[in-house]
Amino acid sequence: MFCVSAMVVEDATSSVCDLGILDSLNGDAVREIMETWNGYCFATEAALLNGRGDLSCGSKLVSQARNLCKYGLESLVEEHFAGFLEETFEKNGASKFWEHFDVYSNVAAREMIMDRPYKDSTPEKRQNSGGTERLHLLSKYQSMVSSVLWLLFLLIFLTTVHNLAGDDYRSSALESIKGWIQAVPLQFLHALLAYLGDSINYDDTPSSGLKSPLVLCPSSCYAGIDSPSEGLVRWQFRLEYFAYETLQDLRIAKLFEIIVDYPDSSPAIEDLKQCLEYTGQHSKLVVSFISALRYRLLTAGASTNDLLHLYVSTIKALRTIDPAGVFLEAVGEPIREYLKGRKDTIKCIVTMLTDGTGGNSNGPGNTGDSLLEELNRDEESQVNTGVDDDFNTDDKQAWINAHRWEPDPVEADPLKGSRNQRKVDILGMIVSIIGSKDQLVNEYRVMLAEKLLNKSDYDIDAEIRTLELLKIHFGESSMQRCEIMLNDLIDSKRTNANLKATILQRSQAGLLYKRIFELGRAEAVGENGVSLDILNATIISSNFWPPIQDESFNIPEPVDRLLSDYAKRFNEVKTPRKLLWKKNLGTVKLELQFEDRSLQFTVTPLHASIITQFQDQTSWTSKNLSAAIGLPIDVLHRRINFWISKGILSESLGADSNDHIFTLVDGTADTSKTGANTGGYEELVVGDDDGDRSVASVEDQLHKEMAVYEKFVIMMLGSLGGMESHKIHNKLKMFYVADPRYDKSPQQLESFLSGLVAEDKLELIDGGIYKPV
Amino acid sequence: MTTINRQDSNTPVTAPPIASSKQPLPTVKTVDTQSVRKRLQSELMALMMSGDSGISAFPEEDNLFNWKGTISGSKDTVFEGTEYKLSLSFPNDYPFKSPKVKFETSCFHPNVDVFGNICLDILQDKWSSAYDVRTILISIQSLLGEPNTASPLNTQAASLWGNQEEYRKMVEKLYKPVA
Repeated sequence: MFCVSAMVVEDATSSVCDLGILDSLNGDAVREIMETWNGYCFATEAALLNGRGDLSCGSKLVSQARNLCKYGLESLVEEHFAGFLEETFEKNGASKFWEHFDVYSNVAAREMIMDRPYKDSTPEKRQNSGGTERLHLLSKYQSMVSSVLWLLFLLIFLTTVHNLAGDDYRSSALESIKGWIQAVPLQFLHALLAYLGDSINYDDTPSSGLKSPLVLCPSSCYAGIDSPSEGLVRWQFRLEYFAYETLQDLRIAKLFEIIVDYPDSSPAIEDLKQCLEYTGQHSKLVVSFISALRYRLLTAGASTNDLLHLYVSTIKALRTIDPAGVFLEAVGEPIREYLKGRKDTIKCIVTMLTDGTGGNSNGPGNTGDSLLEELNRDEESQVNTGVDDDFNTDDKQAWINAHRWEPDPVEADPLKGSRNQRKVDILGMIVSIIGSKDQLVNEYRVMLAEKLLNKSDYDIDAEIRTLELLKIHFGESSMQRCEIMLNDLIDSKRTNANLKATILQRSQAGLLYKRIFELGRAEAVGENGVSLDILNATIISSNFWPPIQDESFNIPEPVDRLLSDYAKRFNEVKTPRKLLWKKNLGTVKLELQFEDRSLQFTVTPLHASIITQFQDQTSWTSKNLSAAIGLPIDVLHRRINFWISKGILSESLGADSNDHIFTLVDGTADTSKTGANTGGYEELVVGDDDGDRSVASVEDQLHKEMAVYEKFVIMMLGSLGGMESHKIHNKLKMFYVADPRYDKSPQQLESFLSGLVAEDKLELIDGGIYKPV
Repeated sequence: MTTINRQDSNTPVTAPPIASSKQPLPTVKTVDTQSVRKRLQSELMALMMSGDSGISAFPEEDNLFNWKGTISGSKDTVFEGTEYKLSLSFPNDYPFKSPKVKFETSCFHPNVDVFGNICLDILQDKWSSAYDVRTILISIQSLLGEPNTASPLNTQAASLWGNQEEYRKMVEKLYKPVA
């Protein structure tokens, strides 16, 4: 390496020096130069590498340098020395220096800096010529050192910030980074600046007395530094900005993960917020987060529940970062669009809204809780709420709002409306996915009905609470039907108690009553003296309830008698009202007693009726059983599976291959299967297979309503050929004039059409065109 | 031939009102258009809800006065398995005047000419406002199986009608289903 560099240098010199000098050099002189050069190079190496204390090398070096200078090679000597110095410093000094940094020892750092003048003494000694030259050399050396240091400094800085920030979002990294900046780099810079005489960096700034406004800011204490110089303060801000930007980039890249465990990762969000306040690079966040969403969330594999949870977390997290909701709007848009395409969105939303209250720990109750808590919070803090309540604000409120006005951030898209339409209301944002609150209320009504019908006590406190909260947000009027449903339950409780106590005469609002029965403790079935005590009835005002599925079958005779008895009493108490039993709804608690064990179940009335048939006759063919219960065979097969799966009944093929035989499993015959259940308490989650819902779902209702359009659509497509669904929608709007007019949304039509496709009445071809088959 | 007759006979009937009262005509016309629209709408609904098999019609584009229809050949006729597109255009004074009905798909039939014009009495002199789209379509559907060979527009078809087997072959040969 030395040879090469020497040769290069030689070439360089020859080209630089004029030929006259070359001529004057004889062979000896050249040889001498070469020898001295080599010696000088070795000496440089020795002086710098072999450590500081050894000044003997130094003197040798100086003499050799003098020799070279004689031949007019000062510049060469200087350059080589400087280059070598830089290299060595980078190699040894710097690594040592940063080692010290890593252990946070600023004393060591300062020592290192103090070392520098010593090292510097070598060239000084060597070059003890004129003062100006020395200064030149010194400044050159200084700039070189500082550039090397700066480079390394950045590297170290980056890695340290990365290390400090880490992947732990549960604690704030910003404070520790700031602390570190105070403790290490600033101390170092202080030392460095002191060494450089505070001259290098800022001497060139015009000394017009204009100080950077940043400097005027009261800066925090500088440990161990009495009066921070302007340069140092500038450095501090520069470093902090750099730290903010680094941390921000780091957090933005991981924003998806951060939001996934949002409530826990709020310190990270808080950090990000502060960083963004400094850097103002919000748009970076939006772009990067949206692409992360597209890639990781908005895929078919993500469940709607997860989507919604993340949406809520996003809203909450971004609300911290940007209270005006401008960026939230941009980020939320793709999620909303995607959710609109999912069919179960509404259902999931309603579940999320209400689950936390139902005490139902089946689903991921976590977010359910937080959504409810959100509702609560809004209830407390917002005076004038309501999704579409914006225009009802009175003058005072308007005045307050006017005072609170703040301009939108520059990044706000003026096309997207002003702040007013953009207020960050989680519920509002969720409702906006669905499109209208009516749909949400409808879905909630169905869910509420389901829940109420399956209640065996009349405890509806949680539902009342949810309803009150919903009322705040959606208005009294839209929740009216739900309120009536709850009132029915309250009334039922009272009426039920009244009837049982045979207290007569009470007047009540003129509602049409239908009756839903519920049997308590039906182990009494079969005994003659079945008392009314075991029966609790839920009386509903059917006009206000969602359509209720009807399924007729024969219930055991004693129970039937009980029901009619109850109805008769009801009629006596509340003439002229009569009860219409919905015999398929409700729950039955029953206990099956075998010779060696007894089992308790909570099942639907239909299941109870089936098993009751086996009380007197232990074996039935499916035909006979279906006749006895009054149920179509296929339905019977589906329902009886419950008992088979519990090991109570067994199924075998009869003589006729279509006729199955069901036999009551004898207690001892199959203990392995039922052993776990012995004495246990089994509960059938009513409605867990989809044929089993007691209330027609919103989709079912919709499909029923849409059925009137079926002929129209099929005819129309027959004469006009295939069409896209939006065209069909338009045609229906234009030409469907019968009462009631066509009033469905394009989404509803789409779902109806895909239903027809599933039934093979239409086919869907490329380009979304529906065609008659 | 009958078509010409009809036009001859119609012209004198419609001419007098136009000549006699020019002033009130626009208002009368708009009112008429309204009621005609209503009538067509309700006919459309009736047709759509009737669920008759083998016939259908629907306004083309968004113009209530131009409909596209389809008729499929009845079972056990030579036209079985074929489907024909028709166009129906309704005059502004519908239902007092019959709509113009034409085959869009070429139809080898004694009472249908090569341009798709149909010779059917209820579309001409026997028209009555009691008829509607549904009855027209049903009539045309039955005309397919029971042509009036006495006054043919397509003489070749009329002469071939006697030989059903040959006729069926001809129908199949000439039938071009519209995509």
